[in-house]
This record gives sequence, structure tokens and C-alpha cells, in this order.
Amino acid sequence: MMRRWFSSPSPIFLAYVAALLLFALVSLFSPGFANPNHVGTLVTLATFIGIAAIGQTVVIVGGGIDLSVPWVLNSAAILVTSLAHGQNWPLVWIVPLILTFGCGVGIVNGIGIAVLRVPPIIMTMSVNVITQGALIIITRGFPPPLAPKALTFVAAGKLGPVPTILFVWIILAAAIVIMERRTAFGRYLYAAGSNRTVAALSGVPVVRTTITAYAISGTTAALAGILICGYSRQAYLGMGDPYLFTSIAAVAIGGASILGGTGSYLGTIAGALVLTVLNGVLPIFRLDAGALRIIYGLVILLAVFIAAPSLRELLQRRSSR
Amino acid sequence: MNRLADLARRNAWLPPLIVLILMGAIIGILRPSTFTADQINIKIAAAMTLILISTGETIVMTRGGIDLSVGGILSLTTAICATRGDPGLVESIFWVGFVLVLGAAVGVINGLIITLGKLQPFVVTLATWSILEGCALTVLPAEISGVPQSWVDFEHAMPLGIGVPMILLGVLIALWAWFRRTRIYNEVRAAGSNERSAYLNRVSVLGTNAWAYGLAGFFAAAAGLYFATQTGAGHPTIGTQYVLPAIAAVVIGGTSLMGGRGTLVGTVVGAFILTLIGDVVFLLKLQSYWQWVMSGVILMLVVILTSLTEARSSRGGG
Repeated sequence: MMRRWFSSPSPIFLAYVAALLLFALVSLFSPGFANPNHVGTLVTLATFIGIAAIGQTVVIVGGGIDLSVPWVLNSAAILVTSLAHGQNWPLVWIVPLILTFGCGVGIVNGIGIAVLRVPPIIMTMSVNVITQGALIIITRGFPPPLAPKALTFVAAGKLGPVPTILFVWIILAAAIVIMERRTAFGRYLYAAGSNRTVAALSGVPVVRTTITAYAISGTTAALAGILICGYSRQAYLGMGDPYLFTSIAAVAIGGASILGGTGSYLGTIAGALVLTVLNGVLPIFRLDAGALRIIYGLVILLAVFIAAPSLRELLQRRSSR
Repeated sequence: MNRLADLARRNAWLPPLIVLILMGAIIGILRPSTFTADQINIKIAAAMTLILISTGETIVMTRGGIDLSVGGILSLTTAICATRGDPGLVESIFWVGFVLVLGAAVGVINGLIITLGKLQPFVVTLATWSILEGCALTVLPAEISGVPQSWVDFEHAMPLGIGVPMILLGVLIALWAWFRRTRIYNEVRAAGSNERSAYLNRVSVLGTNAWAYGLAGFFAAAAGLYFATQTGAGHPTIGTQYVLPAIAAVVIGGTSLMGGRGTLVGTVVGAFILTLIGDVVFLLKLQSYWQWVMSGVILMLVVILTSLTEARSSRGGG
């Protein structure tokens, strides 16, 4: 068992090792990096990427991709501030309403892809653009008021030394991992992602599974939007845009194949941590935004090389010789 | 009805052309002055960046791939153009050649990584896009208007009353008419429609990928050169605004995402549709944000229609 781990280590394991090594390396160069306060901030930022990437993981495992994450996220943030007007009590109905909205957008994506057979890239890209336009038309481009205090407590507050939001992430992560491994939907998802035709012939409800996957993605993107809005205390146009790249990157670094059928949310968590620590590295080494993008790109390339079947086959052949 | 569907299937550029003509009619009715030589030159100039970048994307998608890194090449090219100071003629020719070769080389590297690593084009080019945009930001941290004046003047010249963009468009279409008969294009198309059987017929998987992504890189660099000389400015993050529209233009034009079928005429029509949506929205006195909604709706409708006609034909053909 141990030999197998080392001769062909799982990409997920490697992603965690990478996150830890990076963290240790940076802490050596900059002592302040490892202090509890800063770690709390890092964890909070990782949480946002992690939650936005929940849906992306589920969709990619199912053989698709969701490019509508940015503006579902952004819509959720803007809806929450413009409906709540900075008050706490309406959140009781606003949050469920917005999650339902995200779920609805996801269902539209899923129907287009599974029933009308539109390629996922095109379907989710159009839905992203339409959501963006519709949202700005509805809000008339005015900056909405501030986020309710209760949201800020959840997203930026702390229980003792631990950020409140970490609990939210842990609960969600546990739910998703259990769903991947222990439910019929999880099995269907991997089956549909690895070979759609075979899955359909073996009785997997492919259409329902695909629609559910995109519905989950819409819901988690909306949740991420609500939380990020609470953290930054406001909503603004364009706040979701970075999350298209980071959500896909987190999944890829976590070892999932973009072809579907492999990967796990456990890997995505490691991916979110790697991306966040990398982001924290730059100011220490006085690198600019350009260098960050170059490093992000190289890390993704490295991750997909490690997770690629060709390389793993090669390693296995070596070790069996 | 069946004959109509048949015609549309064989000439994938026909449905988008009908949409474009309808849009042209709306614009013509609301603002008759649009159809003067001046205005047409301006419209072509406005669409040309998208047309050039989509041309490369058409070739990659015919190969069955996708290239997101064209956005990075576009950004990097404008950044390089805007930091050249005031070069002489020889120097100018050198730099123009340099960015085109650079774009092609980056594309070939994409093709090599994808083929040799057996990796997915989407993730690989997402990564190289990020790297290239990073390079662009390193060359030029923020938008400036530093493109050599001589280059801008050259691009804005009007020999015989025809603008450079219109000449470019003509050259592009002529080149395509030649290119689609070449062996390389046919191999790219064969590999895109069925990589395995193409391979068994001695079509090189590596070679076709290198050509397809290399050409995509070349055209992205050309788009960058065009954008820089048109606006006179370098814009290190402009690529972000062009990647998804480029894919949209190709798909609206009738090129299949599954590979094996591509048409430049369709792509050019698709790029014009996306460019003119802004005019239609303006003339209908709608808020400018409607252009996003409309482009999304058109894109979705086109793809749903294609997938429906394809489903019907595959059922009919057994």
C-alpha cells in the first residue's frame, strides 16, 4: 500500500503536499505569514474559492464545465445587498430566495446541456452573458447599498481564534464528499462523467444527473456570492470575474480531469489552498500581478501533467519493472 | 422544410448570414446613412480584431480543440507594440515579424504540450493564457497609448478610398479560399473529425495540432497588431474581452465544437453579428447592457438549432 502511494502518488495527496510545502517555504522567508491572524485571513480567502469551486467540481466530475459561475456569484451578491438594504432580519427569506435563484440558473444550464444537447462551454457561457446583462439592466448599474451586518459576521467574523466561515466550509465539504462517495447521485455522476453512453445504457439517469450537477453549481456559486459580499461589506459589478479562473484552476490542481469521471472535492480543497497561499507569496517576494498570473499558469500546467494518465501510466510501468 | 434544413446543414454559414442580413435591414431602416462607403469601412474596422482572432479559433475548433490562450497572445502583442518607442522602417518590420512569429511559436508550443502530454486543450490553454497575460502585464503594467505613430498612420491609410481593414478582410478570405484546399487543412479537418481513423490513415496527430494551434497563435498576434495600430494603445488585459466572443463568433458561424467542420465565411458573419448587436441595441434606444443579453440569446439559439437539425439528420440517416 505504502509503495503504491510513493510509486504513483495520488494527485490529491500531491496537491496537499504542495500546499503545505508552499506554506512552510513562505513562512521561512516571512515570519508573519504563519501567525494565527494571517492564517485566518488565508483560510477565509481559500473558503471563497473553495465554495465557488464546489459546483465546478461536481460539474467537471460529471463531464461538463460551468462558465456561468462569475455572474451567478455576482448576481447573488448584488441581489442580497439590494433586497436587504443593510438590514439583518430580511435575510431569513432573502438568502433562501437567492439560493433558489442560483439553483434555477443551474437548472436552465442543465436542461440546455442534457436535453437540448448544447455543448456545456457554449450553454454556460451564454447564460453567464445573459445573467450579466439582465442583472445590470435590473439594477440599472447603480451601486447597491452596504451588506447586512449579520452576513459580515458570518463571512469575516471569528469564533475565538477560528474564522466563522471555516465551519460553513467544513460542513459543506463533508456533505459534498459524502455525496460523492455514499449516494446514488455520486455514483451516477462519476458514471455519467466517464462515459455518457455507457452510463445511459446501464440505466444511469444521465439527464437528471446532469441537471442536478448544474443546479448544485448554481446554488454554490450563489452561496459564494452571498458570503463574499458579506466579507467585502458591499457588492460591486465584476466581483465574480476572478472566480471563473480560480474555480476551474482549483479543480484542475486538485487532480480532476476536465474530461470528467475522476477527481474529488478533497482535491479541490487542496487546489483552493494552493491558489490562496500562492497569492500570499507575491507581496513577500515583491512580485507584481503579472508574475502571479505566470505562476498560476505554470502551477496549473504542472498539476495537469502530474494528474495526466500518460504520466501515471509511465510511472506505474517503471515501478512494475 | 426538410430541404431547407438540408441546405442549412450543408452550408453552415447560411443561417447566421440570414440573421446578419436581418440585422442589417433593421439598422438600414433605423439609420439609412449606415450604408455609405465610410460607414462600412468603420464597421469592418470595428469587427476586424474579432475576425482575426476568430479565424485562428476556427482552425483550432476544426481540429476538435479549443484555444483560450489567444486572449493572452492578443494582450501580449498589444503590450509589445506599445513599448517600441519610435522605430525606423527596418526596426518596424523586424518587430512586426517578431510578434507574428512569437504568436505562432506560442501556439505551436500549445499544440506540443497538448499532444505530447495527452492533455485537454481547455486546461492547457487556460494555463498558457494566464502565463501570457502575466507576461503582458510584466511588459506593460497598465494601458498606455505608446504604439508608434508611423504604425498607426499606416493602418489608418486609405489607398483608393478603401480602408486597410477592408483590404485585410479581402486578403483573409482569399487566403482562406486557398488554404481550405491545401493538404494541411484537410489533415487538420480529418484529425478533428476522427483522430483515430485519421491517425490510421497516416495523418500526424502532432503535426496537425502544431499547425492548428500555431496558426491560432499567428492570427491572435495579427489581431493584437491590428488592435494596437487601430487604437494606438497597448492594453495588457484586453484579451479577456475577446476570448469568449471569439469562441462565440466561431460557433454562431456554424463551426462545430466537436471538430471536423469549419467555415471562415461563417466565422466572419458571426463576428459581424456580435459587432453589430451594439448598433442594433443603440438604434432601438435600449440600454447598452442589452447587447450582452442579445448576444447570449443569439448564441444559444444558434447552437440549439444546430443540435436539433443534427439530431434529426442522425436519426434520419440511421
